[in-house]
Amino acid sequence: MTDKKDYDVIVIGGGPAGSTFARIVAQGGMDVLVVDKRREIGVPVRCGEGLGEREVHSQKLDIPRHAYSTEIVGAKVIAPNGKSITWKSDETRGWVLERKVFDKWLAEKAVEKGAEIRSYTRAIDLIRENGNNGTTGKISGVVLSHGGREPYEVRAPLIVSAEGMESMIARKAGFDTVHKPYDVDTCYQYEMKPYDHENLIELYFGNELAPRGYVWIFPKADRKANVGIGIGGTSFNGTKLGGMKGCDPKILLDRFIAANPHLKLSEASTLMDFGGVISVGTPLNEFVKDNFMVIGTAAKQVDPIHGGGIALAMECGIMAANVVLKAHAKKDYSKQTLFEYEKTWRDGPGKKVAKRLLLRKVMEKVSDDDLNYIFNTISDADLNQIMKGQFAGPVAKVLAGRPQLLGVLSALIH
Amino acid sequence: MPVIIMITIKHDGCILCVGCSSVCPTNAIELIGTRMEHFPEKCIDCGICVRTCPANVIEMHPKKKSEKSADKK
Repeated sequence: MTDKKDYDVIVIGGGPAGSTFARIVAQGGMDVLVVDKRREIGVPVRCGEGLGEREVHSQKLDIPRHAYSTEIVGAKVIAPNGKSITWKSDETRGWVLERKVFDKWLAEKAVEKGAEIRSYTRAIDLIRENGNNGTTGKISGVVLSHGGREPYEVRAPLIVSAEGMESMIARKAGFDTVHKPYDVDTCYQYEMKPYDHENLIELYFGNELAPRGYVWIFPKADRKANVGIGIGGTSFNGTKLGGMKGCDPKILLDRFIAANPHLKLSEASTLMDFGGVISVGTPLNEFVKDNFMVIGTAAKQVDPIHGGGIALAMECGIMAANVVLKAHAKKDYSKQTLFEYEKTWRDGPGKKVAKRLLLRKVMEKVSDDDLNYIFNTISDADLNQIMKGQFAGPVAKVLAGRPQLLGVLSALIH
Repeated sequence: MPVIIMITIKHDGCILCVGCSSVCPTNAIELIGTRMEHFPEKCIDCGICVRTCPANVIEMHPKKKSEKSADKK
């Protein structure tokens, strides 16, 4: 069965990357179809829901009141010994979203500009022009299925993978989208109530507490909060079914809640459980092939420090869409033409992500005692510099009192 | 008889995060409809899905070869 019509571009995945991309190409006059395997766009939520204001500033996003739960005025980072730094700046202002509302709002904006979206529609396979749906032949469409019903084919000269972590179709197109355990964090989160907060994002660090990760408390409206943990994918803190050792973030989250009675979370109710695996590794080494491109988390365009993907997904969705509009004008979807998107990434956000990755790799070598020392030495202004990728000042400050950290921190000052 | 490792998914506790399929090096776990399906014929028994599953619902256990081939049918 073949669909009644062809499209200029088919986008797989209706998250922030896919919807943003679709909105812009639709506005530019392209005929775009977005398919999302979920029965409802934005559901289930698999996210801590934080979004930094500065990260999306250039997009002039006018997020409607119902799409976010609460505004964030700053961040509080807490060392293993309990010492905290509260930090309010343009780097820490933002929102804790209601992802299910936010994602649907973004999708609706795309529809309003002329995009077509099909929910509960899964892309099963790529169509290649020589009829071989394997790995060769020119990509010319996708095979779709609505809710597991009879598969049908839809044609388009360009397929965009905005599939998120799973990225099956991008794999079929020949991209190395498999995530190595070292390059993921596994997460567990509860939405909890009541939790009284000051609209600060709270981040708790410690190798015992959360090996190579952190515990987060993201405040939400009506005395609620997302309380979660992410730990390195190569942690061996738990016993898995069958007896194997592996990651068990939930055990550590429960331990954190029990060990911090002053937060009163052990008395709070859980309103939602969520778990997931997030990318904190290197982005794909290529984003485009002939007639195919990858955007957002599917391209591993994720901040390696906090694992946040929404802002980068939207930024890269815009970047890719602008290149695709030019390609559409020339009717040329070759790798060479689409490569401009990859180049824009490398010259812009790619550089920032590379610095964050470096910071992540340095931080995982720092002991709890050193973390305590660092938190005791640096100020909120230093944290601001660190987040901007300007490491030299804060590193010099730490090394002045603890020169033995030079070996670990030197990677940051080259 | 040689011992072969088998993967089973406890679907009741699965939170459908698709973490397992994102780390599987051989596409041996996929979300099909509303549940994760494991394809033993593609599985190389590496255990990465078991180690990283945040809900701890993937089980790895030794099984006799005859049982594994029976499952494939």
